[in-house]
Amino acid sequence: MTNEMPIGDYLAQGGRLTSPENAPPRYRAELLRLMSSFVDSELAGSAGFAAAINWAPGIRERIAASRITLEKADHAERVLDLMEGFGTDKALYERAHDWAARGPREGHVDPRRQGGDMRLSVFHYPLTGWTDAVVMNVLMGSATLHAVGELAACSYQPLAEVLRGVLPRERRHMELGLEGLERLAATERGAAAASVAYWMPRVAETFGPAGSDRFDRLRAMGLRHTDNETLRQRWRAETAATLSALKLA
Amino acid sequence: MPRFHPLEVTDIRRETRDAVVLTLRPRAEDAAAFAFTQGQYLTFRRDFDGDELRRSYSICAGLDEGCLRVGIKRVEGGAFSTWANEMLRPGDTLDAMPPQGRFHTPLAPDAARSYLGFAGGSGITPLLSIIKTVLSREPRSSFTLVYANRQTGSIMFREELEDLKNLHLGRLSIVHILESEGQEIDLFTGRIDAEKMDMLFRMWIDADSVDTAFICGPEPMMLTIADSLRRHGLADEQIRFELFASGQPGRAKARAASRVADAAAHACEVSVTLDGTTRTFTMPKDGTFVLDAAIAHHMDAPYSCKAGVCSTCRAKVLEGQVEMEVNHALEDYEVRAGYVLSCQCIPLSDRLVLSYDE
Repeated sequence: MTNEMPIGDYLAQGGRLTSPENAPPRYRAELLRLMSSFVDSELAGSAGFAAAINWAPGIRERIAASRITLEKADHAERVLDLMEGFGTDKALYERAHDWAARGPREGHVDPRRQGGDMRLSVFHYPLTGWTDAVVMNVLMGSATLHAVGELAACSYQPLAEVLRGVLPRERRHMELGLEGLERLAATERGAAAASVAYWMPRVAETFGPAGSDRFDRLRAMGLRHTDNETLRQRWRAETAATLSALKLA
Repeated sequence: MPRFHPLEVTDIRRETRDAVVLTLRPRAEDAAAFAFTQGQYLTFRRDFDGDELRRSYSICAGLDEGCLRVGIKRVEGGAFSTWANEMLRPGDTLDAMPPQGRFHTPLAPDAARSYLGFAGGSGITPLLSIIKTVLSREPRSSFTLVYANRQTGSIMFREELEDLKNLHLGRLSIVHILESEGQEIDLFTGRIDAEKMDMLFRMWIDADSVDTAFICGPEPMMLTIADSLRRHGLADEQIRFELFASGQPGRAKARAASRVADAAAHACEVSVTLDGTTRTFTMPKDGTFVLDAAIAHHMDAPYSCKAGVCSTCRAKVLEGQVEMEVNHALEDYEVRAGYVLSCQCIPLSDRLVLSYDE
């Protein structure tokens, strides 16, 4: 059983890599890029949501916001631990950026990342209050399920496993948001609808451009399977159903 | 970052003509760091004529054996495995990182699970650790091992597996498949392919009852088996892989850097290779980082933190000289091999050849 097979062929046929030692240079780079984006987005998401704890109108909401803040940081750490296996200095990485920093509410952040911070562009926009935080959490939460679900099938098995563990908790975060939104849809309809209008295009952008060379490259490595536009449309359909049930769209 | 610790080689057992089993003992103060989980591996390092080689080998001991053991099969032309098979002696010291790897499922003493394992050649090492551990820690579970080898003489741990079968009567079954030795039943001769897998499922293994399947072996075997397991109804979460960790070339290549020093010039001609395409551009030698210059020239070079921390932007300098401002991610041996963090690299020479593909 000593038959050799080029690693590119192995990956193209659905093979899995299982440790940093297996990863060829380009695979290593793309994988680290994906993991960084996840870590930075979870850290920025957690840091941004921390303020929502004090906006929470009641204890139940306060607990939900605390849990989301806590668990997103935990998810970041789980993936950062995998990056450490590639040489990433974990302690320095955690301090590399101001995760709570946000840009102005209006204006447009280029969805292509700028600088060293890999968070998705949506995490550069500030939340304005409880209703806004709940809406953003529902919309981005369901987008996260599609994006993380996609990566949970990726060819780097340790990441796929970590993300399969993360998925049910991310789903719970979205559901907690949905419970909050159901209450707000009755009492704060106007504000909630305004937040939906604000966040929809910004969340939609996180799926990336419709046609992407990078996607083709990642697909050849088994790191991606479903293209950006397909994921975005699935999310749109799902979100439209949710919002129309709440009469918010 | 994980550190290396010295391990004393307390015993070397010749397992087959070209494989040895090493028993290793950490220093008392490192004992906790070397507590392992079944199915994990150790990464060793050794200097060969100035080149540091790192190789990973799976632990073959079970959790209840009270010792650390790895199996090393000699690979043709492999510097480390040949050295371990021919030169290493009891009493010698090996540098190793603490155990790593996730080739296992959590143990549940009360569970009555049905495990399925596929091993190709030396891929048996982590599976042996898993089999021993599961049989002793989960008294109600059973294990079926499908073990592929070239011929009888090259089967690692053959006797040990037989002993385990007798010790745990009825809980371990083993199917040997030999590539170049005819056996009475055709199923057991040749290579594992889709047809053989179908036969296995028809005659030996009830796919519906399998809780978890472990596969460790060469790439084509892993693909074939994983594909077949999925066709027979196993979900991705039920299939655990371990690819041979030492899939790299056996010898560290000498680096091809020719150092051209020049202080007068203020520009550098840079050639950057990415995904097989090489682009050449000129960049100023004014403290601009090579990564930034490549991005400015519309190359989709990989990077993340831009602070010398994460190592996403790692590249290899093939020609020329650079200065790395900050490096928190690459280890000394990588730097000696010519690797740099391109987000922290300033060219010093007039010409620089850099590749993200190596």
